[in-house]
Amino acid sequence: MEKDTFSERLKALEDRISAAKTSREPASVTGAQDKFTKGSLAWRMVTELVAGMLLGLSIGYGLDSLFGTLPVFLVLFCLLGFAAGVRTMIRTAEQVRKGESEAARLANAPATKAAPPENGGAGTPPRAEDRKATGADGPGKD
Amino acid sequence: MAGDAGHGDSPFNIHPMDQFEVHPLFGDGPVQWYSLTNATLWMLLTVGAISLLMVVATSGRALIPNRGQSSAEVLFGFTRKMVEDVAGKEGAKYFPYILTLFLFILFSNLLALIPTSFAPTSHIAVTAVLAIAVFVTVTVVGFVKNGPHFLELFWVSSAPTVALRIVLAVIEVISYFVRPVSHSIRLGGNMMAGHAVLKVFAGFAGALGVGAIIPIFAIVAIYGLELLVACIQAYVFAILTCVYLNDALHPGH
Repeated sequence: MEKDTFSERLKALEDRISAAKTSREPASVTGAQDKFTKGSLAWRMVTELVAGMLLGLSIGYGLDSLFGTLPVFLVLFCLLGFAAGVRTMIRTAEQVRKGESEAARLANAPATKAAPPENGGAGTPPRAEDRKATGADGPGKD
Repeated sequence: MAGDAGHGDSPFNIHPMDQFEVHPLFGDGPVQWYSLTNATLWMLLTVGAISLLMVVATSGRALIPNRGQSSAEVLFGFTRKMVEDVAGKEGAKYFPYILTLFLFILFSNLLALIPTSFAPTSHIAVTAVLAIAVFVTVTVVGFVKNGPHFLELFWVSSAPTVALRIVLAVIEVISYFVRPVSHSIRLGGNMMAGHAVLKVFAGFAGALGVGAIIPIFAIVAIYGLELLVACIQAYVFAILTCVYLNDALHPGH
């Protein structure tokens, strides 16, 4: 009996929390995260480009010192490495564009207003169960 | 430290790279594979700090979490959401691994910001091991999930001739190996550069006398930036692991 009202109250609280979350989440999260991800994205692309060249360079140099044909493979793999670096970079850009169009679609469609609560709902129930299970020995604050 | 007496004459007595020196904690022989070094110490402290937050602070499992428990829950929930968003429901299986990586890098980056501490993640040896572990995991997962079809990732069948396909296959293979390299260089380079810059400005402050107030303000600003970089690099490392994992789980995109 006592447990029942307790879990009911817990549920009501859970609902209120998720309602409050959905009402204020969108604005706060995207603003801060956007700047971070943009900055780290540029950095990511640069390292991919450089790493491609370095990798090609070292593979070429290794093959050359193996076969004793110094400039041949070095030149060849330098170019291949550069191509690989550009390839990786373009793939990253593609991925970002795909993600961005997805985000735009989510943001534009009014029907997807249900999406965030659904998302939060998927995450919270196990935690709520957890809390209920261990709730008995929780602090007696209420 | 020991060498300081040697390089004395110039007022600019700046040695920005001394802080990255690995030296044994006990005695001063050469570093063997079994010797306890400052790198070992700070990695152990990292693990200790993580255990303190994730195990000890949450051990109360309180209904109303205290500060420690709620920070642990925020970290946990944040990573969980990231994994599910990027790698999908199938990727959620690998969540413990990604959380471990994220927490290790985050904590070792943050602990490295304590003055006179040591930054394990500024060493390419440490970050390369982390990146190679991710690389091997992702490759194994790709082969287990897709079998030999995983190799089709490297064979561009839309290219017109076989010769072109072979060249493209070489490029694809190299670009596959670019990932662990860039993964490790990014983290190690960022941490090393930031700490070296801090040390250079500290050296200016030592040389300028009263004018030292300017570099001191610069140090404060860069320190703030480093705090940001420490968190972002841990986040980037973890999210890229998710991206690679997603590529291995769903190849052919």
